[in-house]
Amino acid sequence: METRILCALLVSTALVIAACGKKEEPKTSPAPAPAPSVQPAPAPAGVAVSSVTAGSAIGVDKKVTVPTDSFARSDTMYISVDTSGSGTAKLDAKWTYRKGNNVAVVKEDSMTINSTGPATHEFHVSKPDGWPAGDYEVEITLDGQSAGSRKLTVK
Amino acid sequence: MSDDMPDFSNVKGGSSSTATKIYVVVAGDSLSKIAKREYGNAKEWNRIFEANKDILKDPDKIYPGQKLKIPPK
Repeated sequence: METRILCALLVSTALVIAACGKKEEPKTSPAPAPAPSVQPAPAPAGVAVSSVTAGSAIGVDKKVTVPTDSFARSDTMYISVDTSGSGTAKLDAKWTYRKGNNVAVVKEDSMTINSTGPATHEFHVSKPDGWPAGDYEVEITLDGQSAGSRKLTVK
Repeated sequence: MSDDMPDFSNVKGGSSSTATKIYVVVAGDSLSKIAKREYGNAKEWNRIFEANKDILKDPDKIYPGQKLKIPPK
């Protein structure tokens, strides 16, 4: 009788050990979702100034036909601004006169454009009684940021 | 500004573009006045009206703050 009990005990012990030794199948966690690919942000479709040219005449395409930085007293001074890109932007032109350390604002003008591609814009100034001889400068800003300038002379 | 600086008060200026300009209407404006300023000819007001028919029903009724498309010259 004792032998039977002993055997039964051994068998049950063996079963328990076997059960404990059984390895659990590793749970398969779902494959991690692929990280969303980071697309580069599209380049802003903004307007950019590509060139600023001064001259004493322009054509119907608003480009300078007589490029110069030196003007006669009776000239109209033109500044032609080429832009690329599309969108709405504000262009400003500030004309100044410098004499020694003194600077006088000659004229300020601005235009808001709605561009769909490369375009050319012009600003011009004239003075009915003639320009005083001296040094002038025109600065172009695009949406408040300096986009170029030209030093001009009237002789 | 120094007293010996020249007087630039009579300087005339202007601008034009090959792109469409956006003009914000101010009090006292009319399409004729805007055409005169932008094109040098008040009679060209109809060009501005035609370009803005989506927001203008009557060429005599424009309001301060309205943004008008000004076609290139």
